[in-house]
Amino acid sequence: MPRYLVRRTAILLVSLVLAAVVLFVLLRLLPGDPVNALLPVGATPEQIEAARRELGTDVSLPVQFLRWLGDAFTLDLGRSLISTLPVGPEIAGRLPVTVPVTLAAFLLAVVIAVPVGALAAIRADRWYGPIINAVAQLGIAVPAFWIGVLLVTVFALRLQVLPAGGFPPDGWSQPGPAIEAIILPVVTVALVMSASLIRYVRAATLGVLGADYLRTARALGESSASAMWRHGLRNASVPVIAVLAVELATTFLGAVVVESVFALPGLGSLLVTGIRQHDYPVIQGVMLVSTAAVLLVGFLGDIAQRLIDPRLLQRGTS
Amino acid sequence: MSRRRSLHLAIGLTLVLILAGAVVVSYFWLPFPPDDTSGGRLSPPGDGHLLGTDKLGRDLFTQLLLGGRIAFATGLGAVAVGGVLGVSLGLLAGFATRWLDDAAAVALDILIAFPTLLLAMIIVAGAGASLGTAILAIGIGMAAIVARLTRVLVKQVLSRDYITTARIAGVSWPGVVLSHVLPNIGPVLLVNLALQAGLAVLAEASLSYLGLGTPPPNASWGRMLFEAQATALTSPLAALAPGLALVALVIGFNLTADGLRDLTDPTRVSGPSRASRRRTLQSDSAHQPAPRADASHQPAPATGPSPESRPATEGPLAAPSSGTVATTDPFPGQVPPSSPGQVPPSDPPSGRT
Amino acid sequence: MKRLLMAAAAFGLAGVLAACGGGDSGSASGGGASATIQVGSVYEPQNLDNTAGGGQGVTEALNGNVYEGLFKLTDTGTVEPLLAQEQKVSDDGLTYTFTLRPGVKFHSGKALTSADVKASIERVTAENSKSARKSNLEVVQTITTPDASTVVVKLKQRSISFVYNLSYVWVVNAEAKDLTTTEDGTGPYRLGEWKRGSTLSLTKFDGYWGTAAKNAGVVFHYYSDATALNNALLTNAVDVVTSEQSPDALAQFDNNSAYKVNNGKSTTKLLLAFNDKVAPFNKVEVRQAVSSAIDDKKLLTSIWGDYGTPIGSMVPPSDPWYEDLTSVNAYDPAIAKQKLAAAGLPNGFTFTLDTPNYDPHPTAATFIKSELAKVGITVNINTITADEWYTKVYQKRDFQATMQEHVNDRDVVWYGDPGFYWGYSNPQVTAEINQAEQAKTTDEQTALLKKANRTIAEEAASDWLYLYPQIVVASSKLSGYPVNGLNAQFFAYDIVKN
Repeated sequence: MPRYLVRRTAILLVSLVLAAVVLFVLLRLLPGDPVNALLPVGATPEQIEAARRELGTDVSLPVQFLRWLGDAFTLDLGRSLISTLPVGPEIAGRLPVTVPVTLAAFLLAVVIAVPVGALAAIRADRWYGPIINAVAQLGIAVPAFWIGVLLVTVFALRLQVLPAGGFPPDGWSQPGPAIEAIILPVVTVALVMSASLIRYVRAATLGVLGADYLRTARALGESSASAMWRHGLRNASVPVIAVLAVELATTFLGAVVVESVFALPGLGSLLVTGIRQHDYPVIQGVMLVSTAAVLLVGFLGDIAQRLIDPRLLQRGTS
Repeated sequence: MSRRRSLHLAIGLTLVLILAGAVVVSYFWLPFPPDDTSGGRLSPPGDGHLLGTDKLGRDLFTQLLLGGRIAFATGLGAVAVGGVLGVSLGLLAGFATRWLDDAAAVALDILIAFPTLLLAMIIVAGAGASLGTAILAIGIGMAAIVARLTRVLVKQVLSRDYITTARIAGVSWPGVVLSHVLPNIGPVLLVNLALQAGLAVLAEASLSYLGLGTPPPNASWGRMLFEAQATALTSPLAALAPGLALVALVIGFNLTADGLRDLTDPTRVSGPSRASRRRTLQSDSAHQPAPRADASHQPAPATGPSPESRPATEGPLAAPSSGTVATTDPFPGQVPPSSPGQVPPSDPPSGRT
Repeated sequence: MKRLLMAAAAFGLAGVLAACGGGDSGSASGGGASATIQVGSVYEPQNLDNTAGGGQGVTEALNGNVYEGLFKLTDTGTVEPLLAQEQKVSDDGLTYTFTLRPGVKFHSGKALTSADVKASIERVTAENSKSARKSNLEVVQTITTPDASTVVVKLKQRSISFVYNLSYVWVVNAEAKDLTTTEDGTGPYRLGEWKRGSTLSLTKFDGYWGTAAKNAGVVFHYYSDATALNNALLTNAVDVVTSEQSPDALAQFDNNSAYKVNNGKSTTKLLLAFNDKVAPFNKVEVRQAVSSAIDDKKLLTSIWGDYGTPIGSMVPPSDPWYEDLTSVNAYDPAIAKQKLAAAGLPNGFTFTLDTPNYDPHPTAATFIKSELAKVGITVNINTITADEWYTKVYQKRDFQATMQEHVNDRDVVWYGDPGFYWGYSNPQVTAEINQAEQAKTTDEQTALLKKANRTIAEEAASDWLYLYPQIVVASSKLSGYPVNGLNAQFFAYDIVKN
């Protein structure tokens, strides 16, 4: 395990740096000179030069990259071109919205999907098996923002039981309004997520149900439930954890679109605004943080898998 | 099971073909000219306007048909971009030397960590919002996923005995690609691309909804939904129709993929020679996405990690496939054994192209 | 978007700037003086400094509320003294002497002095200033402060708009450090907290020199799109919406006694701006033909329903030199065809319309295309981003025709600048506009600008499609809010919630 951990950590770090390279190159390849955003109309060449210095685009690209990377490691993500405010604190200020929404949506999706998916597999012959399948099939085809719009129309506008959007100025210091504000976004993301999770859980359960060791256990006289519990759960959980890691990352990214529907001041809305305003430091910062989060979740997922099933380690190091 | 699968294919193809038919018809006939604003602001259905009019007085049904063109252009265009780019990259990586292949695998893993939608957003940020940009951006995002799948599949094929046999018989590498690799990986790729088409349509809708996709006045379904949101209480049809069309098309693509996978499913192909060849591509129980714990497969969602992307397959065909956000395969140079009993050659034949 | 914003700052053009937003909150506080007013808006400030590109949002939230000027532009468009108690103008119109109101304190506790006023004006004219009034105030030659309560400003030349322009200059504490995230003004509110992307709160300032605010504070809630904003109003998350962006949602407020829809006066004009320097729009007849071929009234109706006003020139009704010119080059396709023939283009022509990709431009462009097709003119709609608009159209003048919203009042004067992006050049108009600025009396100024404006309208320098409506929707419990939102100001101190 330690050897795997070291190796996996190295891969994580390399991936992070490479992701930063990709991000940097991608944004530099794009047309448009960010320096324009800093300049007043009719700027003189001196002003342009000064603005370049301010932006740090007066030096060669590799130097720019190293500077940016160095700054990024010290959590200095530069300043927004539009607001002239530092990007780092801006991102930090958005996390109290995006992180709770992501985690809550993820948990809710798991709570919905695991029993429903397992039920669909174990009771595939009952009438609700096909219905669960059909609903899940539908769920993966519906855009999240549309679900959001429909939920707002029904629960906020018609029934007026929940806020239509926004986040209270007091934030989490007054948990009541904050929780109310994220209920609909969380449900929206969770519904979309659970549709795909149901399919995985169902398939994983089917796989376990047909597995030899379960048949063996049952043949040896263990009850079906006990066999499922002792052998099935553990065996099914390994692939499910891999999927969950992916899904958690996907949930986090799903919030990007949904935040726009619910006017939530999270990372997603920060990114969308940044893109609309061509605010490169903001785009870069948000993308770097999101990518790091995605890579980290994958890392944790891999570690968790190997903790549960050490056999993967042996194969991995062979 | 099999009947249900072919039902999937039938329903999926029907949905796609109906919508495609409507789009084809729209090139010859439209209920109203696209820019005709004579219908009056937000008229209810009637008076020749099947779904009523939008706020400019344009016929909603006409807009819906035009939106279909955009949806198909996105689905097919992005798949073309992603498919060509991805398969080429995947083939190159699959044939490359071990060192290069390792690098390619790591690079693809990282690219996949940028979800299609976010990648598309960055590209749109620089290149400006337009349908072309959206298609290109989504296609590029998709390419990483397709490349990764192709690479894994190619490596699996290359480790087979018949490749060695063919090589010994004097078949050139390009010949091997044409006669063995592509035919073998084709069906699996096709399934994945059908899924990707649905995801591309969803991604474009999301981009347009955010104002980063097809610019108005073009009637992208995502854009129409955005516009209709303001009047959802008073003109619900405008908020429902584009959404339903979108869902129908995506389900159509997904079910088609499901059904296609069934057609290419080795467990259903009789005839020992073909079956044994194909089955080596996949784990031997095609419908168990969760391979037995001692199997090496780690299921990954069949679809990319974009926010809209949700795994749309159940089977393990999807498994080696598309990218996992998490680098679940920590040793990218190695191809996982495709079934428990088989031990992959420690060093797969690495041909040079 | 940023660059357009700066264009907006420097030249009075506006984009609909999407501010990212959030908001909500139980507006649960009681009524009367203890109430906090919840205000919904789509214009989040970029930062809090109006000389550093704070944008429209910072004017809305802070003008008159947190910061005050020597003068203020009221919601009805008149200029009144505020921090200046008295002003004297020399006979040649070149020397202005202002006496400051005594007893004024900044929020930090420091007393207002003439040095602060001098520093405040110089902030606007500073080299790196992005203030909308920078070019207007370049007429200032020197500022002196004979004593702590007197400011003397000498101008390079007469400027009849000088006092009006001063109403845009915030008086800030000269010693204040970071004005992009904090403030130090003299207004009835001090800044509470600004949560970027979500809310900005103001609390009543107890040491205010004048009449105290009638409420305990204000919270501005920012939304990135109009639907979310209207939903907030419908669900009582906000009490008032400063400016409705589309009529789509108004139906649900119109017939609802819980809300009041206020149709105020606006200064925002939607322009079909020709490049008057290039063919075919360098021909007056062609511009007139296009103007006559488009049914502005119908366009207005299709975009704004029953709201908004047709307009025949750049001058909105709230400007002193307004006159109704809607009959000039009015809608008449037959005349349009005659003019085309007169211009030597009887079979029409084809041009490219550079259309900003945000509402309402694409929809309006679609409408224009269908209208012009009827007289044989083919329009290619080229959708561009705000960014591209700024570089391609505004800077490089590489366009045939474009669309843009021009928000400010009194901005007809740009037709006197042949170097402006639309390239309208008529020496007589330029002379009249320059004379008007140096006029001795407002009557003289008004007469000159009316004359110039008539020429501009007759020559169809641009096609002024319509004047936006300025719609404030508020809960019926609310009173005392401004309805015109002149130049994006939103004075909150008189708002009362019952």
